[in-house]
Amino acid sequence: MATTTLARKPSVWTPGFLAWLGLLGVLVVIGLVSAFWVFVRGLVLTNMTDIVPWGLWITIDLSAIALGAGAFTLSAFVYLGGYKKYHSIVRLAVFIGFIGYTSALLTLVMDIGRPDRFWHPWAYWNVHSVLWEITWCITIYLTIMILEFLPVVTDLKFFDRWPWVRKVAHILHKAAPVLALLGVMVSLLHQSSLGATYGIVKSRPIWFKPSMPIMFILSAVAVGPALTMAVAFVTEMITGKRRVDHQILFNIARFSGFALLVYAYIKIWDLASVTYYGRMPAVNEALSLLYRQTAYNFGFWFGEIIIGLVIPIILFLVPRFNRNPKYLVLGAVCAVIGVIFNRWDITVTGLYVPLEYSPGTQYQLPAGTYFPGLVEWGVAIGIVGYALLMLTLGTRFLPLFGDPKPRSQAGQGD
Amino acid sequence: MSKKKTKVKLELTRRDFLVVAGAAVGSVVAAETLTTGLLSPFANLKQQQVEGVAEAVHESGAGVFHWGMVINLDKCIGCAYCQRACSATNDVAEGMEWNIVVEEKNTAGNTFYFSRPCLHCQHAPCVEVCPVKATYLRSDGLVVMDYDRCIGCRYCQVACPYDARRFNWERRHVDDNAWIPTWGIPEVDRRPRGVVEKCTFCIQRIDKGLENGLVPGEDYDATPACVNVCPVEARVFGNLNDPNSKISKVIEENATLRLSEDLGTNPSVYYIPPKEGL
Repeated sequence: MATTTLARKPSVWTPGFLAWLGLLGVLVVIGLVSAFWVFVRGLVLTNMTDIVPWGLWITIDLSAIALGAGAFTLSAFVYLGGYKKYHSIVRLAVFIGFIGYTSALLTLVMDIGRPDRFWHPWAYWNVHSVLWEITWCITIYLTIMILEFLPVVTDLKFFDRWPWVRKVAHILHKAAPVLALLGVMVSLLHQSSLGATYGIVKSRPIWFKPSMPIMFILSAVAVGPALTMAVAFVTEMITGKRRVDHQILFNIARFSGFALLVYAYIKIWDLASVTYYGRMPAVNEALSLLYRQTAYNFGFWFGEIIIGLVIPIILFLVPRFNRNPKYLVLGAVCAVIGVIFNRWDITVTGLYVPLEYSPGTQYQLPAGTYFPGLVEWGVAIGIVGYALLMLTLGTRFLPLFGDPKPRSQAGQGD
Repeated sequence: MSKKKTKVKLELTRRDFLVVAGAAVGSVVAAETLTTGLLSPFANLKQQQVEGVAEAVHESGAGVFHWGMVINLDKCIGCAYCQRACSATNDVAEGMEWNIVVEEKNTAGNTFYFSRPCLHCQHAPCVEVCPVKATYLRSDGLVVMDYDRCIGCRYCQVACPYDARRFNWERRHVDDNAWIPTWGIPEVDRRPRGVVEKCTFCIQRIDKGLENGLVPGEDYDATPACVNVCPVEARVFGNLNDPNSKISKVIEENATLRLSEDLGTNPSVYYIPPKEGL
């Protein structure tokens, strides 16, 4: 059994690596200090108000979950589609998914007013609530990912001492296809329900549309694998070790490119039908207000369309670029920024539009304004630090690139 | 790598299957006993809290009562006494008013005053979106909150089309309510930091009043504070399901409107528009 662990060179702690860990440690400490203050004083420290009750943290939640979608997409490739050669990247994808989901849950615990009651959705069910369903799906999916991932962790040398742990983990490993299948179903459900969280709210004109869940899941399916691909390339650039066959990564990039095309297609028609042809009075008013008073238009066309769609589609699909890892990483970074732009635009800008229920003409709620406060940035920095720290330690110490065959080569070339 | 598709083979022995299945069944049973069963740490919670249904409704079965309100915008003089009485009686913090009064103009340019409590929608978005059933619809038509259950996610606030919900962003200061005791004495506990709150139609008065054989809307002690304090009787409260109640007659005799009816929320608050129109 002991031979299954990878042999590693002892010279892991290079100065550069230590400096990087130190930097990440500082980020995490900033996050912890901010979180501590929020727990002591309450959400009053944030810049959220009754007008804009959701802000940066919800944006992080949504983005982190969308970016974790590589896990279920690539699992579906392997276990549903039967493309076994992608197996070598599934572990990495699941690990990134795990980081994304834990980041989201950590931020969510910060965001709710009563973190001590985080368990209430399990005890008190409101089956009509999309948010309830999302909470359930996310926690179930996180459990599935942990189970899926357990064999990887127990393959560490550390567990040589307790062979029974490894044994249990390997029984679970045999169930991996079943778990992955379950995970794919649960993911499909909640990735789209996150869009429905907005899409069902009738009182908010620019949210209320049936395309919302579809656009959420499409963007997640497109960008999640791209992020996994980029992480694989970046790890390779830093360590100089080719862990995953480049052809696989190129294929993932191509897939992402096509998925982004589909997403762009639906997005453009959504834009046309909702804003151009639709002309519902409330939607028109809301959009004209957003155009006049906020950077919504810029955020949409520049952030979501150009950065988030046009550039990555070109880099992922045009043959001149899509064989070069650097362009592919750039494309993935752009796509990630696009998703974050999109989630911010939906969450925060959607809330800027004042509610119109008054029968008169004078009284209107003021249009919302919101810019994240210090503690909000602090927690955000901490979350980013946490994610990068996990990623660094994971890619360094876990057998993430679990290609069954070239195991003997994996430890070489430091 | 030449073969594109390879079936992933699922190798499960009977033993593995039994282990996995046993673990699954075991965890379901454990979850059940731990959440709602014998070992539940929530066992000390009231059953009505666990079920999230309107057990607090006393002898009132569904359909007997439907509490509603009429606000006569033609009578309202904009004194905002209702806002003060509400804030004193329910100990509402400044800036978090459950009941707002604002000046408005109609299309002819004339001023009128508009006020808005919670509208107690019968198809309330806040009830639907709450992930923990902290907000629920009682069988007497009231939309009520369980502050002990709210997790403070603020989805209800986002979903309410009428801006009727307020979040406790911080712990309240001891003496932040200037309306006490001039405008009333608090009848309910302060809400803690981190939960959402809203108008209840003074549910404490309705429930207590019914216990004592009073009629909400007619007897002072069983009627919401905002209705009692109004100097021009612009607000009428009562049972919409009773055709002989005062409120039913007012609705019958006047043209009324409800806010944003196109949203399908079916509010329990009716407005009588100003005579010169809106």
